Amino acid sequence: MIVDAIFDLVSYRLHDQPHIVLDQSRCLQCDHHSCTHSCPARCYEWSAARARVEFAYEACVECGTCLAVCDRGALDWHYPVGGFGVRFSR
Amino acid sequence: MSDFDAIVVGAGPAGITAALAMSRAGARVLLLERGEWPGAKNMFGGMLVTCETPERLLPGFWDDAPWERNVTRRVLTVVGPESSSSLTHESQGAAKKPYAGFTLYRPVFDRWYAERARDAGVTLLCDCMVEGLVTRDGRVRGVRVAGREDGVVEAPIVIAADGVVSLLAKEAGLHDGFKAKDLALGVRALFRLDEDEIDARLGLRGKEGATYEYLGCTGGVRGGAFVYTQLDSLSVGVVVHLDALAERRIAPYDLLESFIGSAPVAPLLRGARLAEYSAHLLPEGGAPMLPRRSAAGFLVAGDAGALCYTNGLTFEGMNLAMASGEMAAKVAVEAAGAGDVSAERLSAYDALLAESYVMKDLKTWKRAGEFLKRDQMFALYPELVESLMESIYRSDGRPKQRIARLGLDVVKGRVSWRQLLKDGIAAGRSYL
Repeated sequence: MIVDAIFDLVSYRLHDQPHIVLDQSRCLQCDHHSCTHSCPARCYEWSAARARVEFAYEACVECGTCLAVCDRGALDWHYPVGGFGVRFSR
Repeated sequence: MSDFDAIVVGAGPAGITAALAMSRAGARVLLLERGEWPGAKNMFGGMLVTCETPERLLPGFWDDAPWERNVTRRVLTVVGPESSSSLTHESQGAAKKPYAGFTLYRPVFDRWYAERARDAGVTLLCDCMVEGLVTRDGRVRGVRVAGREDGVVEAPIVIAADGVVSLLAKEAGLHDGFKAKDLALGVRALFRLDEDEIDARLGLRGKEGATYEYLGCTGGVRGGAFVYTQLDSLSVGVVVHLDALAERRIAPYDLLESFIGSAPVAPLLRGARLAEYSAHLLPEGGAPMLPRRSAAGFLVAGDAGALCYTNGLTFEGMNLAMASGEMAAKVAVEAAGAGDVSAERLSAYDALLAESYVMKDLKTWKRAGEFLKRDQMFALYPELVESLMESIYRSDGRPKQRIARLGLDVVKGRVSWRQLLKDGIAAGRSYL
């Protein structure tokens, strides 16, 4: 599947700090976890075992989908610092 | 005293145009881009329809710009479970001026376009992510660049061209952040294929290009799909209303995957190499009408101001971004020259936009945007089209019916007359 190969298909320059931070206490109150279905880079996954949203920022393509579907205000959302994050080129 | 008359945030089509136009008018302009180069953050591989703005600023633009293919063919395909039906518009005239439009690869195009702004005297700084505005006495005075000492830069006017997730327009109080219902999500895969092979496969010659739009292949989620020809690659993608996607709890890459494997698309991609994947939000949903796109010391252009629309047939954003950038530049230069960057003075930008095709087109197609919120347009109706076309073409030894009769048979039991009438009237009000 394409999303499984995302690190081969997209180039990144990773910052050591995540540019999006989750407030897990708000995620716990959420009944839809739309971020886990809608994120096109599959950065969010619902862990039944840990009963929480697992988030990894590394594959983020900075589209803003999570910010738009999260109606719980659980995201402290920023773009990566200049020069970091996703980069497209030929 | 600032070193700059204006700061533009975001080196995309809106920001570069604004910077270029202001510089041409004699202003000292700082253009800030968060990517390593202009276009580094952009995934677009679509079509720029011809518009006057760039040609006015850069005579010969359409001959010089690094476009991919000159679009001479537009195809709209309604996809059913077992067949698809297409409408093709092929224009011999589109190969010469005035062109219909060009496909672009934005990482290449934006970089080239930003260079033209630099030629005109714009100071371009990349690797600069603006994290917020500097505001004093109710007026925007400058920006703060993240992760830099002395990251504060001030100028009489800030133009935010920072894209659909415009944190600056939100901070300036122009809107509350676009919501899922106002947005569409596009996911796209780029497939490499030799130029000659694309030409042979699609019957194109000499940098001619084609765009293919598809309806009915998004698993019932409101939206559509596309294949755009670039010189030696094909952009293949799905665009869906974000609220519908979230409600249906379907992953966007699953929709893309199934589109890529679908009957109309798979043959186009035979032997092509998957090279890139990306995603992007588009301001849509009838383009949320912001009450204004200006504040004291501040203007917003392009996607950041939701200047983007689709009516299901045309998809425009880049041209509107360029046009709004040019208008923002005009107002900014005049206001700064007069030493008055008050909210009242800068509202001249909203007035200019309102008089221009940008806002008029958004208004013209506002209803169409709402019309496209009807789920039945994306699964039920494509299936009805399939049934009708199948029965028109089928010859099975039984007497043929006239088309109206066929239509009745197709619709019977699948959609109520009431519903059909309602949708028909809505379609009429939106498009006629």
